Amino acid sequence: MIEHDKVRELLALAAAGALTAAEEKQVGEHVRSCVSCANELDAWRPIATELRRLPTPQPSSWLLQATLARAEAKLADEAEHVLNRHIIIFVVTLAWLLTIASWLVFDFVSPYFGSLLGPQFGHTWIGFAAFTALGWLAGGVAAVMLAVRQRGERRLA
Amino acid sequence: MAVDADVARLRRGDLNALSELIARYQYRLYRYLLRMVRQPAEAEDLFQQTWLKVVEKVRSFDVTRNFDAWLFTLARNLAIDHLRRVRPQSLDEPLANNEDCATVADRIPSGDFTPLDTALAAERRTHIDEAMAALPMIYREALTLRFEDGMKIEEIAQVIEVPVSTVKSRLRRSLEQLRSALAVHYGEAWR
Repeated sequence: MIEHDKVRELLALAAAGALTAAEEKQVGEHVRSCVSCANELDAWRPIATELRRLPTPQPSSWLLQATLARAEAKLADEAEHVLNRHIIIFVVTLAWLLTIASWLVFDFVSPYFGSLLGPQFGHTWIGFAAFTALGWLAGGVAAVMLAVRQRGERRLA
Repeated sequence: MAVDADVARLRRGDLNALSELIARYQYRLYRYLLRMVRQPAEAEDLFQQTWLKVVEKVRSFDVTRNFDAWLFTLARNLAIDHLRRVRPQSLDEPLANNEDCATVADRIPSGDFTPLDTALAAERRTHIDEAMAALPMIYREALTLRFEDGMKIEEIAQVIEVPVSTVKSRLRRSLEQLRSALAVHYGEAWR
């Protein structure tokens, strides 16, 4: 009786083809000797068959093209982000190089080269720091303005 | 060309590979999403979102994994998020029971291939389709992946990220509920 109940539980899955080899063997052997389970298995089979025969719903004809278009836009967007990141890294590196180079040039042409490091020329240091900060600030404002404009153009597109 | 090769090309940003993958999976994926959300417009939107997700995440896709399972898992997560947002109750509850419209014709099982029987077979499928749509989401999902998509139990377990034993239990319960719903139309005359 325990065997019968156990197999009974497996009959729906047997029709679904979802049993392990051992379970399949167990069910096969049982239904050969149990009319009730054999009938029950027969009742499950047409349901499984009809489920496999359900018509496949058709998506709209434009779906593939629309999906591709959106994916293409996304890929282009990602590529642009990567390019922008590289450009920013390049520009920042270049800006630092120019700052350092201008400092060296400044050092070279300055008649007070030796005294620049002295504490009495602290004002020169402050001036140079302010000049650098102003340059970077202007660069930052320009970058933000460009980004805002680019975002606006993208939204309009 | 094999799916793996298309996936490798897509990882390099090749849009033709994406086109081939979408064409290859469009019916299966759309059907799965439609069974999940039951609304064609929502299924189509989720279909597009799924492929955008594929484009976004394909570089982090573990190539040793099964692409089918990964794709359907992405689609499933999107569908569940969507259902949680739009119709949270639909994740647990079935639709209202269909009206009992059993007629004499409804109760005639098909077996031959006369025009009448063909029509009745089509009607039976409509009833199955309706009965399936009325099941809770997790049961619809188990049925469509096993019977319509032909996935193995282990593959279904990967997609829905549960143990094999849970898949089996959901499959059995879904079949039992489906059979009960169909009994309204056909009684035990399914043979």
